[in-house]
Amino acid sequence: MSQPLLEVKNISVEFKTRGGALKAVDDLSIDVQPGEILGLVGESGAGKSMMGAAILGLIDPPGRLSEGEIWFNGRRIDQNPETLRGCEISMIFQDPLVSLNPLKKIGDQLVETILRHKQMSRTQAIDRARKGLLEVGIDPERLNAYPHTFSGGMRQRVVIALALAPEPSLIIADEPTTALDVSVQAQILELLKKLCRSRGTSIILITHDMGVISETADRVGVLYAGRLAEIGSTNQVLRSSQHPYTQGLVASTPKIDPSSFGQSLYQIPGSMPKLDAIPTGCAFHPRCTQGTVKCSQERPPMMKNAAACWLLEETRQGI
Amino acid sequence: MSFITAKNLTRRYDLSDPWIVRQLTFRPKRFLTAVNDVSFSVEKGTTYALVGESGSGKSTIAKMAVGLLAPSAGTITLDNHNLNDPNLSPQNQQSMRRRIQMVFQSPYASLNPRWRVGDILAEPIQSFDLIKGAKNQAKRVDELLEQVGLSPSDAKKYPHEFSGGQRQRISIARALSSQPEVIICDEPTSALDVSVQAQVLNLLKSLQKEFSLTYLFITHDLAVVSSVANRIGVLNKGALVEEASPKELFINPKQDYTRMLLNAAPKML
Repeated sequence: MSQPLLEVKNISVEFKTRGGALKAVDDLSIDVQPGEILGLVGESGAGKSMMGAAILGLIDPPGRLSEGEIWFNGRRIDQNPETLRGCEISMIFQDPLVSLNPLKKIGDQLVETILRHKQMSRTQAIDRARKGLLEVGIDPERLNAYPHTFSGGMRQRVVIALALAPEPSLIIADEPTTALDVSVQAQILELLKKLCRSRGTSIILITHDMGVISETADRVGVLYAGRLAEIGSTNQVLRSSQHPYTQGLVASTPKIDPSSFGQSLYQIPGSMPKLDAIPTGCAFHPRCTQGTVKCSQERPPMMKNAAACWLLEETRQGI
Repeated sequence: MSFITAKNLTRRYDLSDPWIVRQLTFRPKRFLTAVNDVSFSVEKGTTYALVGESGSGKSTIAKMAVGLLAPSAGTITLDNHNLNDPNLSPQNQQSMRRRIQMVFQSPYASLNPRWRVGDILAEPIQSFDLIKGAKNQAKRVDELLEQVGLSPSDAKKYPHEFSGGQRQRISIARALSSQPEVIICDEPTSALDVSVQAQVLNLLKSLQKEFSLTYLFITHDLAVVSSVANRIGVLNKGALVEEASPKELFINPKQDYTRMLLNAAPKML
């Protein structure tokens, strides 16, 4: 395997509160290969967005990166993420209405981004901005339009053009299509995939939608309560999930499948624990149908088949 | 027998400039037809789903069904009563409103943050004068909370103390509190996580069985529809382009637009 583009080693994100430190991300390790699309799934509060923020050094106080290291292209970046933020690693946020400045023309926003990161003249930058818009399927003549004159899907295209403008090698996309319609969502994902494949840009795709992951990502990491529950190729994680939580997530996703019409959906009992009440041992054990005593006492490490669950160890011993 | 009937339902919005501007610029009046000649009927105790993209007129139909908006043309009737009939007496209108309730998309916006859950659930009971006496009302509130899988002690809490899924359960309990026959669900799970979505959809289904409720289910998510609906209507730009049972629609869609929607929906491996 080649050297990973991004290596996140055992990071924890802590929030200091009166009741003690709460861990939003707990001892999490992940790596991203060059040109790869890595999906991160999990429910609200699983720590997916916090992961993205940690990589870019965008965690708001009182939160802080309390442990671990982040390496990017052989450089350690967790101490000074500003040097890479925006140029080597860029971000696409969920709501394009919020991430674009409503008072500036989109052309000016693109040119500003390009000039901030690249040495070139203004005319060259405008030329680049036009090319950028053309690539995402927007008429370059709309360089002088304001964000409110675009529809939601068009705005997200502008945001993609903005993210790609400094030619980053990694894009963190935090729920890029959640605010969009299904048909527009399909277009945007297709576009993002196409552009990144042609440039060899890696993507960390953060989402809660298993369908989006299965159509876009090469590898998936499943997060639960700030910990990595399972990681592996999309095919493997979705088709033969090892972790009971992943199995539950996959089963509870509604599918368009004639045999299941009118049937009740599978539901995982209970709900995600709050940060101040994360159970001891495996964080999922109170909701797990197959939990053992060991699950409630010791935190499971990542097993060989890439899921953090004690059940897998027992099956191995059984054989 | 059909319970909700929409006949040639049309709603136009007036987007014209002010009168004086029109006089100065010689521009005519402009109208947007949000819902155009839509007819459908829903059987009692079944779920009818309206599917479409943003701007297809789904929510406009929902608003007309509960009487929040008047149709520009056509009618929508509930059990042969027209909610928007100007001749309807206020008493009759009131009793009609009791029979039809709504669950909104965002449980974060649809519950008053300054009210306790018990008060939120008791309001419909009081305003429709269904149960007399504070004690009996409190008993009914407890019962409602249990029906949606919460505990009676939750009545004293405020909405912010609950998670998204629990809040949507409170919204459902509030809809149930007036003992309605029809519930309009306007994207009830699109703000929720998958696992919570499954819980809420299953809850809606079991309540339907228990109280023989009729649902008008509005959503853009075809996968959700496939698991709850008995019949599906596909809306495109205000017009009903296709109507079928889930099996017919998903196996053999007739319209290009439906096919496009189906292809766009992300599929699991």
